[in-house]
Amino acid sequence: MPVAIEPKATEILSPIRHRAEVISSRRVATDTWWLEIDSPEIAGRAEWGQFVMIGFGLEHLAPPFLPRPFSVAWRAEDGRIGLLVRAFGVGSRRLAELRAGEHVLLLGPLGRPFRLEPGSRVVCVAGGVGLAPFLFLAGDARRQGFDVDLLYGELTADKVFDTRLIEELTGGPPIVWTEDGSLGRRGRVTEGLRVEGPVTVLACGPTPMLRALAGRAAREGFDLQVSVEEHMGCGVGTCQGCVVQGADGRWRKACTEGPVFYASELTWSPS
Amino acid sequence: MVPELRQSLFGVEFQAPVLLASGTCGYGREYAGLIPLDELGGLVTKAVSVEPRSGNPPHRVAETPGGMINAIGLENVGLDAFASEKLPWLRENLARAHVFVNVVGRTVEEYAAVVSGLDGEEGFLGYEINVSCPNVKGGTMFGTDEAALAELVGRLRSETERPVIVKLTPNVPDIGIYARICEENGADGLSTINTFPGMLIDIHLRKPVIGNVSGGISGPAILPMGVYLTWRAATACSLPVIGIGGIRSGEDALQYILAGAHLVQVGTASFVDPAAAATVQEGISSYLAGAGIGSLSELVGGLRLPEHGQH
Repeated sequence: MPVAIEPKATEILSPIRHRAEVISSRRVATDTWWLEIDSPEIAGRAEWGQFVMIGFGLEHLAPPFLPRPFSVAWRAEDGRIGLLVRAFGVGSRRLAELRAGEHVLLLGPLGRPFRLEPGSRVVCVAGGVGLAPFLFLAGDARRQGFDVDLLYGELTADKVFDTRLIEELTGGPPIVWTEDGSLGRRGRVTEGLRVEGPVTVLACGPTPMLRALAGRAAREGFDLQVSVEEHMGCGVGTCQGCVVQGADGRWRKACTEGPVFYASELTWSPS
Repeated sequence: MVPELRQSLFGVEFQAPVLLASGTCGYGREYAGLIPLDELGGLVTKAVSVEPRSGNPPHRVAETPGGMINAIGLENVGLDAFASEKLPWLRENLARAHVFVNVVGRTVEEYAAVVSGLDGEEGFLGYEINVSCPNVKGGTMFGTDEAALAELVGRLRSETERPVIVKLTPNVPDIGIYARICEENGADGLSTINTFPGMLIDIHLRKPVIGNVSGGISGPAILPMGVYLTWRAATACSLPVIGIGGIRSGEDALQYILAGAHLVQVGTASFVDPAAAATVQEGISSYLAGAGIGSLSELVGGLRLPEHGQH
């Protein structure tokens, strides 16, 4: 019988809660918006792969009633953070369609970030809006001297985030894959992963994509960091809602023990 | 004049009437640095069982209209780890806010083992006995069986002199019967109410959204049911009642107070905004100030009922 035991967590700073203004909103693909929000407190602290909870606060009963987690996709020196938001349901659509001047309640930065191995090549594998953390990471890592490959897959061309904006934010062109071949290379983005030499492989996207990569990492013997997604209540570890299964069978909280895990730390049974 | 929020209850003074509900504040530490815990009335810990419990598979939470559904499954570190790893933080960091330990078990013996195992420790005031979890097999057994509840409460009374609060389930025909059973068997108070059982279906997958299939519904959607059942419980017995269910403002809390609650708990609202409990506390205070009411205790049970009508 697996039991839940918290890891010996290193102390992380308390998150910041504040009301923040949406500075700009731009539709960048089908059902997908790029939001910039004024949050100097979070922009100053956010690390690659961390997330924020974004909602409307206590007065608001319509979806989203509960705040939703989003990766910090970018941060600017003037205190803006960027979020990549895709509408999947009623709640996420309301967030995706936020307009400049609207206010939201932000909580963050939350969770444990990606780690880069010094001297390695960095390969980011992004599926859909799993692109978000890599917009932030790829640009920073390149400025720090890392060689970075950004592999980015979508089902179809209309879902693909503005590639010029990706290049602007990350300092290099992404390698785009679409499953129907309507843009970039045809097939699944995971097919584009080549692991040679010292390499840090990072992935964010739908669970089947992460599962496929985890299988390769186990077979080919490379370290893989994944950013997982699960329904989340609080974002800070109190509700214990957002669990994923650890390799030892124990439930691990995506919010405080993740969202970034080594793939080898988790169980990857087919759903 | 600043209204008086203090209340004397369970042999101590509560500086304010708002507590964080079990299952929504972890073991307190999760909120350290984020909200001023020690300025609240107190908190109720995540349930503690004799052995650690692993909890339910995901999804464990989802949004519902005006609220949420959850089926965590009482995941907790267990008695020993609670005493050695969680309680010390509460003891060292909370000087004024009172702590209740939420206790759960499968048998009377398991409940009693948690209470007797913790009773000599410092850092908490009393126990909130969970007889009302809808998300584990047998979780509501003690809350829906009159004889079992009587035996459990009587046994726990014999194990401790600390306050014993029983958290009741709404899922019974007459909560007053269960309130009186708690009173007759030596409980010191009641928490009303736990979540309502519910279900959410993903029509595309044709599957339950929640891994446990069903779960407990909480949040603003259940506020009127909580107010009603708190009123029923408070008028059925003379025990002090802690009102719970959907509270997200001072006005919401005051409905419970007028219905007969002495204290309230804020739960799901803390997920929406970690500052919810403090907001509720400030809302109560500003209502009293605006209405020229000097003390919160003047309003407890102060509901004015119509002379005619079915109560």
